[in-house]
Amino acid sequence: MGDRCARLALATLLAVGACSGASTTGPIVITFPISALGAEGQVLVRQLARFMAENPGIKVEQRVTPDAADQKHQLYVQWLNAGASDPDILQLDVIWTPEFAAAGWILPLDEFRPDTADFFPSTIAANRWQDSLYALPWFIDVGMLYWRTDLMTEPPATFEDLVREARRAKQQPGIRYGFVWQGARYEGLITTFLEYLGAYGGRILDGGRVVVSSDAGRRALTEMLDEIYGDGIVPSAVLTWHEEETRFAFQNGESAYMRNWPYPVPLMQDSSKSRVAGKFSVAPMPAGPGGSHTAAIGGAQLAINRRTEHPEAAWAVIDYLTRPEQMRERARVVGQFPTRPRLYDDPDLASGLIIPPATIRQIIDFAVPRPVTPVYTQLSEILQIHLHRALTRQTGPATALAQAQTEMQRLLNRAGLGTGEPVARR
Amino acid sequence: MLGADRRSGIEQQEARLAWRLILPAFVTILLVALFPLLWTLWESLHLHDLRMPWLGKPFIGGDNYIEAFRDPRFWSSLGHTGFFAVTSVGLELIIGLGLALALNRAFRGRGLVRAAVLIPWAIPTVVSALLWRFMFEGESGIVNTVLVSLGVLREPVVWFIQPVAAWVPVILADVWKTTPFVALLLLAGLQNIDASLYEAARIDGASAWRQFRHVTLPLLKPAILVALIFRTLDAFRVFDLIYALTGGGPGTSTEPIALYTFNALLQNLQFGYGSALSIIVFVVTFSLAILYIRFLGAELTGAKR
Repeated sequence: MGDRCARLALATLLAVGACSGASTTGPIVITFPISALGAEGQVLVRQLARFMAENPGIKVEQRVTPDAADQKHQLYVQWLNAGASDPDILQLDVIWTPEFAAAGWILPLDEFRPDTADFFPSTIAANRWQDSLYALPWFIDVGMLYWRTDLMTEPPATFEDLVREARRAKQQPGIRYGFVWQGARYEGLITTFLEYLGAYGGRILDGGRVVVSSDAGRRALTEMLDEIYGDGIVPSAVLTWHEEETRFAFQNGESAYMRNWPYPVPLMQDSSKSRVAGKFSVAPMPAGPGGSHTAAIGGAQLAINRRTEHPEAAWAVIDYLTRPEQMRERARVVGQFPTRPRLYDDPDLASGLIIPPATIRQIIDFAVPRPVTPVYTQLSEILQIHLHRALTRQTGPATALAQAQTEMQRLLNRAGLGTGEPVARR
Repeated sequence: MLGADRRSGIEQQEARLAWRLILPAFVTILLVALFPLLWTLWESLHLHDLRMPWLGKPFIGGDNYIEAFRDPRFWSSLGHTGFFAVTSVGLELIIGLGLALALNRAFRGRGLVRAAVLIPWAIPTVVSALLWRFMFEGESGIVNTVLVSLGVLREPVVWFIQPVAAWVPVILADVWKTTPFVALLLLAGLQNIDASLYEAARIDGASAWRQFRHVTLPLLKPAILVALIFRTLDAFRVFDLIYALTGGGPGTSTEPIALYTFNALLQNLQFGYGSALSIIVFVVTFSLAILYIRFLGAELTGAKR
């Protein structure tokens, strides 16, 4: 008996030793760096636990990463540039997909046949690079106009309406500001500007040509300046504000309007912390003459590291997390909007969301991706600086846009992506 | 003959021993200082942009340097650095000297005051930067409230959106934080001055100002120079304070060269161009250091004589 036990133990040892290289016994381990905190993190843990129960052959390990986008980006670049096979799955900001795709750091997803037709076309477009899909939209953020239902009966359709209504609202006691948006020198300023630009029918990039220094661009930037220094409805302090500062102003009942992402909705609905609970709604950002309502796209995408040893297993995780059931759960618990349009007709979703799904859909229909280019972050930095110079009245709007266009075009040309001349046209 | 031979043999042996003894230190310096420097220099001669891997990493000679010299943002950031260094170090020296003179006097609780003076220096730069940001931020910040109620300002100023006003919190924060350090260095210098010199000056009927002018200042010169070296080089590499306080804004009007380099290197991942900027910063600070050391060296030998 003892002898048999010993022999069995020996055999086991040998077997384990023999296959320690390519372990076939244990489950495949997929690593997934994630910075989700609080309720968002809990939803993910639950969903991954369900996934692992259904797929005993795959084990998903979470990695903690920094919350700030810039730091996360730096970390990802260090990993991927070093050719690490780990992490297997990446959570990307919408503006990183072309960069990582062009660098050859993430796998094209076409071979897995994702059901792209079931997603919002604008979110799919933002994740394409050179005719291939590189990341699958997980949830979508859109820039929108928050308005006070106790101060007015309907949201403004145009900037003209907004200015008029904001001025009237400022007469009310306690209303210090007409309108607040993200105007500090960072990525948020670009999303705000993009929405003004779209309102006047302008664009930042047209293929390989920078076209921001246009009539529409100048009108959009002039409108922003006028709202601060002319009409006085936007406080000049917004030029140092990010998302949270604008939320505090609106949540404290100090502002009639706010431009922001969807995340403040559940926070501001909490009447123990918010003075505007039940007194606000959302609408598309106003349109101007010559353009339409515009919403900048944000949100998270999931992609696969090109060096992963288990592409199939990584895809299985992504496929699971982007299924309608998981999206519905995320919407219900943390208010993150699904990237599949048909879910918005689902009565189940309506009961979970504070804002009616039809309103959200309407805003998403105006969604416009930021320029889809591998050098986006550098383009954005140039534009941020020149916009901020104009908004702090160091240069005029026309000069600022012309200079931005020249520098951005030079960058594109140096990267071999430009088709325009480095000199500003018009 | 024989004795001389043996002596030179011993000298040689000693020289060899000396070399062997400094070898570890020498190799360490080579590894931690010279190697990264040469690596950066080599990197700066290439087009190496992690965001554009399809361009490869071709050797482009001095093109990165030419690009920097043609870039108005480079020159303005260099100008900002110089402005910051001169203004903040100048103020720190003047206030630090006053503080040191006060602390050098015998009074009750001197030890406690000396320790208390050091508190700003002990606070991490980023923390103090955020503290100052908080005080200057918004229209209802502490600074605006106080200045408006005192009648200094007619209406609140949004400090961080004005190219000139944004320097006020930056300079103040640096002066507040590093004056204690300067004061401490100067205090050490003051305590080295022989008290009998003042006695002699008093007997000769020298006024307090003449004593300060002709006894204190000349003898304090080495300490002042040490403080100047440390502070100027630090000020030239200023990064964390401005990064946390203004982020270089509005636009780029408070951006120092170190922040510009950080942006190129770590935000935009332009390794070649960023390395060229780093080398330029190195050359500038190194020249400053050499300049100071020549000054200081002359001072010290002069003092010996």
